[in-house]
Parts: sequence; structure tokens; C-alpha cells
Amino acid sequence: MANKDEHQLSSDTESVRHKFVDRIFHWTAGVLILILLLSAFLPILGIKFDWLPWHWVSGVLLLFVLTFHIVRALFFQNFLNMIPKTDDIRELLFLSVKSSDPEKYNAAQKFYHLITAGSVLVLAITGAFMLVKIDTPLWNRNPAILSDDQWGIIYVLHGLSSLVLIFLVIVHTYFTLIPEHRQFLISMIKDSGPKWARKKKDD
Amino acid sequence: MDLFRFSKDVFGQKMLVGVNWDFIWVPIFLAGLLILAHIILRVFVKHE
Repeated sequence: MANKDEHQLSSDTESVRHKFVDRIFHWTAGVLILILLLSAFLPILGIKFDWLPWHWVSGVLLLFVLTFHIVRALFFQNFLNMIPKTDDIRELLFLSVKSSDPEKYNAAQKFYHLITAGSVLVLAITGAFMLVKIDTPLWNRNPAILSDDQWGIIYVLHGLSSLVLIFLVIVHTYFTLIPEHRQFLISMIKDSGPKWARKKKDD
Repeated sequence: MDLFRFSKDVFGQKMLVGVNWDFIWVPIFLAGLLILAHIILRVFVKHE
């Protein structure tokens, strides 16, 4: 244990890190985001197919899943666990952390979540607007709700956020698969995992 | 290279239509760079 870095954990802090419903949310959102990215960018990269049904159906499903997650995080979980604090900035800058309390999420996890939440929210809101531009079995298109300039801003925000999300998905996949984070990956699959991502100061 | 894509509306006026997709390689390149830096850091720390 002495040689383990701060991201690794002592075995006496095992617990159910993510409840079943949260793990289902994570993997459902992950699959939907992958479908959304692939259906958006494969045609741009030259792989042509009827991408729109894949994209809007996944988008609508993601809106439902995100709403569920936001309600659950705000009213049924301690969302403060995921909000970066001063110590998290210090940890990110390789400075000593002042608080001796352990944290469920470390600085990298909190900031990653913050940036991902921001970009996915922008994508979801702009995507929800864009849904009114297409005919579906559920509604008819009505592009007149915004002017051309306003649609341009919606498209730019959607596009920029999707580029940010490509970066985040690649980085997330890499950091999930490295051996030091194996316990965190397992905790997103099984009913057990490390309770703390940042140990007590003196541990 | 323009950051945004433009088109013309029915009146021939310039209209913003989105991000220039040539920039799709930027996040992929930056992610690769970060991963490479982390791999190098891991090897360096391992040998310390």
C-alpha cells in the first residue's frame, strides 16, 4: 500500500460506490452519446447512411435519461460530492490539500464531470431546439420559432459542444482503462468499489 | 481556415450555418496529446 499513489485506495474502504440505478444511467447515457456522436460525425467523415433517425431518437432518449439523472442528483443524492471545491483546485495544481476529510470523487473526476455536464447540457438544450426543425411521427416541423441568425447560434453551440464531447469521450475511455483506475471501472459494473477517490490526508 | 460555415439565405444574405467540420480533428489531436503526455508521465514516475 505504501507505494500506491493518491488515486489508489486502501481495501478497508470498499462500498457500493454507485447504486444499480446510477450504473444503468451511466451506461445508458454512454451508449446514447456514442450513437449520437457516430450518427453525427460518420456522415461528415464520408460514411453515408440515413443518420437522422438514429440521431434524433437517441437525442430524445438522452433528454429523458438526463432529466432523470438531474432530478435524482438534485433531490435524492448529495450532489455537493461532485462540486469542485478549493481543495480540488489545489489537488489539480499538485498543491497539498488542506482538508483532512476523504472525498468520494477526486479533483480530476469532479472537473471532468463539470465540463461533461456543461457540454452535454448545451448539446441537449440546442438539440431540443433542433428537434422542431424535423418532421417525426410525434410532431411536425416548425422552423419559424427562431430566426436564421438564432438558428445559426444554435448550430454553432451544438457543433462546438460536440467537438468538446469528442475530446471528453476519448479522454474518459483512456483514463477508465488504465490499471490504476481499474477499481473505478469495476465499481461502475459491480456492486462494490472504493468508497473514496481521495483518501484522508494522513492515510 | 474559417471557424464557422456560412451559407446564403433566400435573399442572398450571408447566413451562419454551423462550425467548420474541418476542426473535427482538433479534439482528437488534443486528446491524443493528453494521452501521450500521461503515458510519458507514467513511465517517468515509474522509473523515479
